[in-house]
Amino acid sequence: MAVAVVCGAMLAISPLVIASADYESTMGLVQKIFYYHMPSAWIFLTASIVCGVASIRYLMTGDPRHDRTALAAGELVVVFGLLTLVTGPLWARKAWGTFWIWDARTTSSLVSWMIACAYLILRRYGGPGSEKLAAALALFGMANVPFIYISVNYWRTIHPATSVVPKLPFTMGFPLWFCVITFALLFIVLLKLRVRVEEQQARVDALYLSLDER
Amino acid sequence: MKTLKRWCAVLSVVFVSAVVSVPAQQPSPQSSQPTQQNEFIPIDQLPPQEQLAAAPLLIGAYVFVLAVLFLYVLSVARRLTNVQRELDRLDTTIKQGGRA
Repeated sequence: MAVAVVCGAMLAISPLVIASADYESTMGLVQKIFYYHMPSAWIFLTASIVCGVASIRYLMTGDPRHDRTALAAGELVVVFGLLTLVTGPLWARKAWGTFWIWDARTTSSLVSWMIACAYLILRRYGGPGSEKLAAALALFGMANVPFIYISVNYWRTIHPATSVVPKLPFTMGFPLWFCVITFALLFIVLLKLRVRVEEQQARVDALYLSLDER
Repeated sequence: MKTLKRWCAVLSVVFVSAVVSVPAQQPSPQSSQPTQQNEFIPIDQLPPQEQLAAAPLLIGAYVFVLAVLFLYVLSVARRLTNVQRELDRLDTTIKQGGRA
């Protein structure tokens, strides 16, 4: 609860912190989308890894707790992926003159987001036994993460390189890390809440089964 | 025959002028193509022409992020409330010894 309050307060004041950041010399005002775009993208990739690792553990142990974690993380992949894939083109419209380019970073991010959507659709409509099939699908989503991260350094693109973040001066680095911490806390809070929903749903299902057996 | 020659001459002039004018209209690829950035360089003041064009995109991005996060939190809270309510109802039913 305390984490949720801190997270909410940080999210509320984040626009003020971002407003105090310096403007970027070539992109100007629109570059400030970066302070929400990049943390969203990092959480998008983190959630993909959490979903993949939990799926591996579920496939190996069959423990439904790992399956519930994977499902919760899979939903967050879709949410944070959507934020990344919408804020990026809004930034690109001004910075590059176009909403979208089919380079390695944007295309692989879109593929990863579509894999997460497929995972959720499979979980929702796949019927009994679809958990293991969906878990295998989540592995493909996780395998795509390193490719997304390094793609800007190895393939020809105009997307900013990964070297941008370590070189940021304090006036731009502080708002970025403030937002990264905010989004990370938000991810933890939402993941816990979503897992809680699945746990309670499992208890409801167990109670229905016990009633049927009477 | 004379008319045909005249038309051929007119078409030739149009074709030649079109061919000559096309390269002149094309922007040079080096000037219009953005290049990949390896670092961000801060500046203190924003050029005036930058402010209006970027503002709707910036505001749109921030509003979208906050709206999606707010709606998702609401959605999770609603699902948690519903499942908790169903759990309580089932607990009550079991204590009463039958199915509702």
